[in-house]
Amino acid sequence: MKKISFRDDVLPLKNRLYRLALRITLNPAEAEDAVQDSLIRVWEHRDEWEQIKSMEAYALTICRNISLDMAGHAGRGNVQLSTINLSTDSQLSTLNSQLLPDESQEQKERIALVRKIMDTLPEVQRSIMELRDIEGKTYQEIADMLKLSETQVKVYLHRARTSIRQQAEKIEKYGL
Amino acid sequence: MDYKYIEQLLERYWACETSLQEEQILRTFFQQAEVPVHLMPYKAVFDVQQEQAEPTLGEDFDTRMLHMIEGETVKALPLGGAGRGAAWGAFFRPFYQAAGLVALILTIGMAAQRSFDGSEEPQQAQYAQIDSMENPVQEVTPLPEQQAALAVEQTDSMNLTR
Repeated sequence: MKKISFRDDVLPLKNRLYRLALRITLNPAEAEDAVQDSLIRVWEHRDEWEQIKSMEAYALTICRNISLDMAGHAGRGNVQLSTINLSTDSQLSTLNSQLLPDESQEQKERIALVRKIMDTLPEVQRSIMELRDIEGKTYQEIADMLKLSETQVKVYLHRARTSIRQQAEKIEKYGL
Repeated sequence: MDYKYIEQLLERYWACETSLQEEQILRTFFQQAEVPVHLMPYKAVFDVQQEQAEPTLGEDFDTRMLHMIEGETVKALPLGGAGRGAAWGAFFRPFYQAAGLVALILTIGMAAQRSFDGSEEPQQAQYAQIDSMENPVQEVTPLPEQQAALAVEQTDSMNLTR
């Protein structure tokens, strides 16, 4: 088996861990702390690295637990924070640069709304959506990470996607 | 243009039946500039996914992280696991030696005193006997009374014979 190095095999996972932590804590500063704590914990368990099947799944599982702890201590559950909304404008401007100006504004608002809806989903649904739709994980990988069955993962994801779909259609029908 | 394929993919996406590759096709499709009006409501759903893949941690996070990890190895290697404990041990070593020496001198001194002072030995044995009784005061005090009673009896008998 190939020797695992922190610099080459663990540290590059930081952005995936960060995005998952951000989905759970909904706070960039807390998410960064969660990633730092997760990587330190992975490092402290370096004696066991050889027995780990997937370093990424292992690190993501640790990161999810730490993020859940943080979100729990803050006592806010699924309430979303304004910090997310503040940081979106700059990201959206690059994303919608190809759209016409008036279209761009409307699309911006739609995206903001979909994000809001996603943030209000229960944590399990949110995390599964993140792992599937953003990180491109298979159902099997997600099931292993979250200690669920593949069927359960699909059920949660189906609920999440149905909510998003209904909200998206509602926006279209009744306007923003 | 026919959007049957995309519509079909979309239906299967909601039902969680699409593969990862098919989901990527949907994301790419919704990213293009011209999306048909009837599919517009879903554009935001896939744009959000694209956008949420963006937040990243900077280079400074890496250096900070490696600093923490390397800092730990440098500290941990020369001193070993009980680095701090060993340092304290070294600091107190002279005191341990001094305390040991004092204890040794006291023990020898007391032992010598006891063996040389022979007169104390029987006295100490007596005390030990008294101490071992449950109520030394009660046990000891009846003795003079008994002696007095005996003396009275003796004088009485002497008086009778007289």
